[in-house]
Amino acid sequence: MQLRIALHSTAFEPLDLLRRWQEEHTPQGHSASAAEAHFIGRVRGVAADGGDLEALELEHYPGMTEQQLEQLAQACCIRHNVTSCLVLHRIGRVLPGEAIVLVAIGADRRGPAQRCCQELLEALKHDAPFWKREWRTDGSSTWLSGNTPL
Amino acid sequence: MVVSVEAMQQIAQAGIKVRLFAGLREQAGWAEHHWPVDPGGEAELTPRQLWWNLQLPGAFDQRIRVAINHQFADADTPLQPGDELAFLPPISGG
Repeated sequence: MQLRIALHSTAFEPLDLLRRWQEEHTPQGHSASAAEAHFIGRVRGVAADGGDLEALELEHYPGMTEQQLEQLAQACCIRHNVTSCLVLHRIGRVLPGEAIVLVAIGADRRGPAQRCCQELLEALKHDAPFWKREWRTDGSSTWLSGNTPL
Repeated sequence: MVVSVEAMQQIAQAGIKVRLFAGLREQAGWAEHHWPVDPGGEAELTPRQLWWNLQLPGAFDQRIRVAINHQFADADTPLQPGDELAFLPPISGG
């Protein structure tokens, strides 16, 4: 099982990195995975209180966050018997419209690929130490105390 | 077991490194704290006890999670000298 996890402190273009990841898994001109599931999460332009959002600040716990992401991904991929996994996550200041997370799973069938992608996304949202702070256009800010509904 | 004075001093200096994050850090007004360990102390020190000893803000309830040496842990796990303890406010990743 091929696993790649990275934290980005600057903006990344998820489709470019996804294509690069796919090319790396294309040894003889055809994809190594018969099925792929992808999720791209982007920052909304609206804060939790409905006001305009200036930016989202993402704090993490250096060392633990990376370790936890790897453990969650390993466990999830083994559980669903998938062949490859890519997790990219932003840290620092993220602007509305920018990608905050990319999860991609390669597998032999669509079921394991989709289930693993969704399960891993939910796991990292709840069990990888990241914290979001909303910065509003009036200069005020609030730490979020949980995740948006599924 | 016989422990030398130097070893006792090293254990005491190792202590517990306590870390706070995000809103909890800002409420408490600090990010890192060194909690000395009393080598002669008999009572086990746990994250739950340290929360009160450090007078951290608010109640220590299930919204606060504990990590010891970068792994989630139970709040009543006995701490060892040299441990890194983190109190984690509600997580919001992805």
